[in-house]
Amino acid sequence: MIDSMIHRKSHNAGACVAIKCSNTGWHKRISTSKIISLSTLMLAMASATVWASDKPTPPTPPTNTCYVDGVSDRLNCGFVTVPENPNKPDGKQIQVHYVVLPAVKNANHEEALLAIAGGPGQSAIDNAASFNTMLNKVRQQRDILLIDQRGTGRSNLLNCDAGPQSLLAFNDDNVDSLAEAQKCRDQLTGSDVTQYGSLNAVKDFEAVRAHLGYKKLHLYGISYGTRMAQLYMRLYPEHLATVTLDGIVPMQQSVLEIGSAIERGFDLLFKDCQETAACHAEFPELKAEFDQVVARLTEGPITEQVHDPVTGEKTLLTLTRAKFYGAIRMALYQTNVRALVPHAIHQAAKGNYQPLLGLYALTTDGAGMAMGMHASVVCGEDIHRITPAMREQAKTSYVGKTMLDSLEASCSVWKVPPVDANFSEPIKSAIPTLLLSGEIDPATPPSWGELAMEKLTNAKHLVAPYATHGVAYQSCANNLIAELVRTGSVKDLDGECLKKDVRRSFYLNASSVEPLATEDATQSSKDKPKDKPSTGAKE
Amino acid sequence: MNKIIAMVRKELIDAARDKRSVMAGLYYAIGTPLIMCGLFMVLIGQLTSPDDLKISITNPDKAPDLVRFLSNKGITQGEAGAKDLKAIELIISPDYAKQMNQGKGAEITIVADNSEEKLQNSIRRLEKQLQAYSAEMGSLRLIARGIDPRVVQPLKVNVHDQATTDSKGGMILGIAIFTMIYSVFISGMNLAIDTSAGERERNSLALLLSHPLTTRQLVLSKIIAVGLFALLGLVLILLVSKVAYTFVPWQELGFSVSITSEFMALMLLVGIPVALMAACLQLFVSFMAKTFKEAQSYLTMVLFVPLALSMAASYNIAPDVLQWLPVSGQQQALMDFIKGKDMNMLQLLVSTLGTLAIAVILALGMEKSLKSEKVIFGL
Amino acid sequence: MIKVSHLSKRIGEVQALNDLSFVAENGQITGLLGPNGAGKTTCLRTIFGLLKPDTGTAEIEGIDVAIDPIGAKQQLGLFPDPFGLYERLTPREYIRYFAELSGLSASDAKEATSKVIAKLRLEDISDRRCKGFSQGQRMKTALAQAIVHSPSNIILDEPTRGLDVMSTRLLRDILIDLKNQGHCVLFSSHVMQEVAALCDQVIVMAQGRVVAIGSPEQLCAQTGKASLEDAFIQLIGTDEGIAA
Repeated sequence: MIDSMIHRKSHNAGACVAIKCSNTGWHKRISTSKIISLSTLMLAMASATVWASDKPTPPTPPTNTCYVDGVSDRLNCGFVTVPENPNKPDGKQIQVHYVVLPAVKNANHEEALLAIAGGPGQSAIDNAASFNTMLNKVRQQRDILLIDQRGTGRSNLLNCDAGPQSLLAFNDDNVDSLAEAQKCRDQLTGSDVTQYGSLNAVKDFEAVRAHLGYKKLHLYGISYGTRMAQLYMRLYPEHLATVTLDGIVPMQQSVLEIGSAIERGFDLLFKDCQETAACHAEFPELKAEFDQVVARLTEGPITEQVHDPVTGEKTLLTLTRAKFYGAIRMALYQTNVRALVPHAIHQAAKGNYQPLLGLYALTTDGAGMAMGMHASVVCGEDIHRITPAMREQAKTSYVGKTMLDSLEASCSVWKVPPVDANFSEPIKSAIPTLLLSGEIDPATPPSWGELAMEKLTNAKHLVAPYATHGVAYQSCANNLIAELVRTGSVKDLDGECLKKDVRRSFYLNASSVEPLATEDATQSSKDKPKDKPSTGAKE
Repeated sequence: MNKIIAMVRKELIDAARDKRSVMAGLYYAIGTPLIMCGLFMVLIGQLTSPDDLKISITNPDKAPDLVRFLSNKGITQGEAGAKDLKAIELIISPDYAKQMNQGKGAEITIVADNSEEKLQNSIRRLEKQLQAYSAEMGSLRLIARGIDPRVVQPLKVNVHDQATTDSKGGMILGIAIFTMIYSVFISGMNLAIDTSAGERERNSLALLLSHPLTTRQLVLSKIIAVGLFALLGLVLILLVSKVAYTFVPWQELGFSVSITSEFMALMLLVGIPVALMAACLQLFVSFMAKTFKEAQSYLTMVLFVPLALSMAASYNIAPDVLQWLPVSGQQQALMDFIKGKDMNMLQLLVSTLGTLAIAVILALGMEKSLKSEKVIFGL
Repeated sequence: MIKVSHLSKRIGEVQALNDLSFVAENGQITGLLGPNGAGKTTCLRTIFGLLKPDTGTAEIEGIDVAIDPIGAKQQLGLFPDPFGLYERLTPREYIRYFAELSGLSASDAKEATSKVIAKLRLEDISDRRCKGFSQGQRMKTALAQAIVHSPSNIILDEPTRGLDVMSTRLLRDILIDLKNQGHCVLFSSHVMQEVAALCDQVIVMAQGRVVAIGSPEQLCAQTGKASLEDAFIQLIGTDEGIAA
């Protein structure tokens, strides 16, 4: 019993971090791109490096039994070998690795669900545990297929190692983006970084499908993964049964539009706190306090002796504006972490940076992003779509400006030719498609989902009012996906359950989300309706 | 040889026209998998926690965030007296908020009867979710104090479960295989009695023996007839099982139970010596009995032995030596096969040879006994 | 020809057979007459090798049953008491089954079965299952079984028991017919009239031994009685167990 409890605990906490990773990766890179191009690159996941160094070992048989982190079941693993550049079939070959989570009771051997990770740059296989949990109902009857997209995870990882460096002490305001980008590029000399865009990757996916012999795939794409899913719909519609797009990036839009989505996310947080009695009572001046901290940081970073969040050793924290923004932005991806943000801001305004340090520490693992691959995608598919108007607009926000500057630096080094103009056309399709958006999503707001719907004739867009990024992880939407896979139709999907109040109450101090009730309230407690929260309800 | 064929044919025609023999064997073969599947369907429905678990929550207003967390996991306050309300009460301490604010453990009490099988899953699920909530809050409390929550997970335990979705159903499959082996014994039993004790009771045994045939021919033909009937029962139960088991939603328990064609072939193959032994055993005992009724009661007792062996193997409670014995050895091999493990061919061989040896000894015993006046006339 | 020499057999406390010797000739009907418990059935079972004699031999056509049971039994047809019918088989199946067991090939058995069915006029019931047959129908089926393979020796154990008059007459005709064909017919009975009417030779048995052998007339003459019944009572010393 004790064993299982410990296991449960660790699993839960692990999932907490993992989901964050899977949902947040690419934004982090973009928004606080300085942190990313440095910090994230430097911290490139232990698991990823292990695999990267694995490459020279003799090729394993195409299909094998294996285990992945966080999933105790025996899985089938393998890879297909594809040319790095499809136009040079005899040139360099890369292995695209996949993992199949076998169905518990395989009701249909000709179908599987392909889950596509976000990023760009995240490994689907590294996120197998959270996919497995979320898609548990689908897996009862269908195989779940996870593919490490080229340039990520085990598939010719394009990552950069910037060497050991203390992230806490590091001042990312003084970074030479261009030099950092060049340093990263230099580590990837063996690979043609122009070949790691989404279009080549979709071909790989299709090759894996053919290799495994599935006649039809159901797709689940999260975040950037929705772009992959949409390209699959465009290029190989005959092999798709259903599609679920969660946290949608419409084809028409550059991912760099995210600046305004982030601003929206911050505003929604302030509004939420304002409208929640307990939060408002505790933090009546939250927005002002936030502005106050930003103003202080704009003058220059704050340095302070702190205890390292992991080692506990004394160390220097250099809190920059970028780190502050980054930490809060990342916290908004998850409803439970988001609940801590007002407290963290309030404490920061009072000069206590411990909560902020805690939030920042969560972001320093780089979310398992393959930054080289990330740049290959963004530089080929997004940067050229920036209009002067967008550039103007970006200048008005700190986040937008920082992001743009650093990306342009990376792309000037990466030199990826832009994709054709028709890349940005909306997807025209009659494949049953479920679109999921979270109302308080700080990355892909519901309006983006509407945009993607434009030419989908057999689609349903459901907005979960209390969800952030990655609706299927936070609501009943995973059951809807299971139903979609089972019935093959979006017609009867009922999004009613998404409306269930699953908000998390804001932390009022470092310990509790529940306000101390007055004596009277305690008296009449039993008569109160059960689902009327004393905290967190809009009043 | 012609005489044996004639006798086997006659026995089969005779048995096929005997409603009692046919029904006893075939009802079992057809009925058992159906009944088992029906039971399991009901059982799964009762054992698995419902999607929507309704419980009684006392003082929900003391911990609204927890209540909403639980409701997001499908655990909600049920209406008093409602049918789907489970007998689980969650009492939130009136001091919950105070204890929380002080950073102490806030008290939650679960009131339920843990011996109630139908509730166990639901109780575990509630405990699990409370634990999850607790772990999550713990992590956030650490974050709020500038500590990375991963430091309180000193062990990262990776479990590499060697089980396949098929082998996880091992227990169920053990029972399924048990019913199949049982069918070999059940299906031929009435025919065995009818063709031995019954033959004598009808006075046709003496007539038979007055004809120019050897007792060996007689014994062989009866063994073949009974064995064939037993195998027919086995084939039937396999076919019915193959179909019936697919209708049970095993996946809700996290495993699958499927009777593959390969398994059916192996079961049949392994079943042949078992059927021969079953036939010999039943005929032998029946010939020893004076009357039909007596044979029935003897057989019920004697059959307990192979069934106990099979049962012991299927529940894995037996000492290792059982893996070498007849019936339990075969059962073990079949279970290994269906779990995708390597079968111990030596064990299977030994237990099969043991089975055949017993069959031969019993057949020789019968041949001898049929030369005895006592056996022929039931003296 | 059936030859029994010095047969002795003890069953439990009872000396069932006691130095029994007789010969049943071909072309004759031999009756084994005796009161209940005289050892008639034991004697017949011994001839079939179902019982092993303590001493003495039984020979059929010169073949010792104890030495070559199969060869000996090949020459025999048995009309048992009780009949031992299989209720779930039809007479045709039943007769054919035993024809095959008596050594006929499948096709010969089929043909012989049809013949014997015609001979005994069983056509109307030949393809009905035996369950529910009258005693006469059963008798005919059992008799057909006994003679289907045309054995040279036919043994009948209390053949007329429970038969009505018509059936008895039919049986009698058949036995005479068999005799005329040269078969050796041996039957046991405790019914005086039947024995008197049919037999060429009567073997009177009591307490496991032969009391007298001869034609009915010879037996009457031997005892000086006018009727076989009186002669019989005289021979065995009591009228117990005798049916008129």
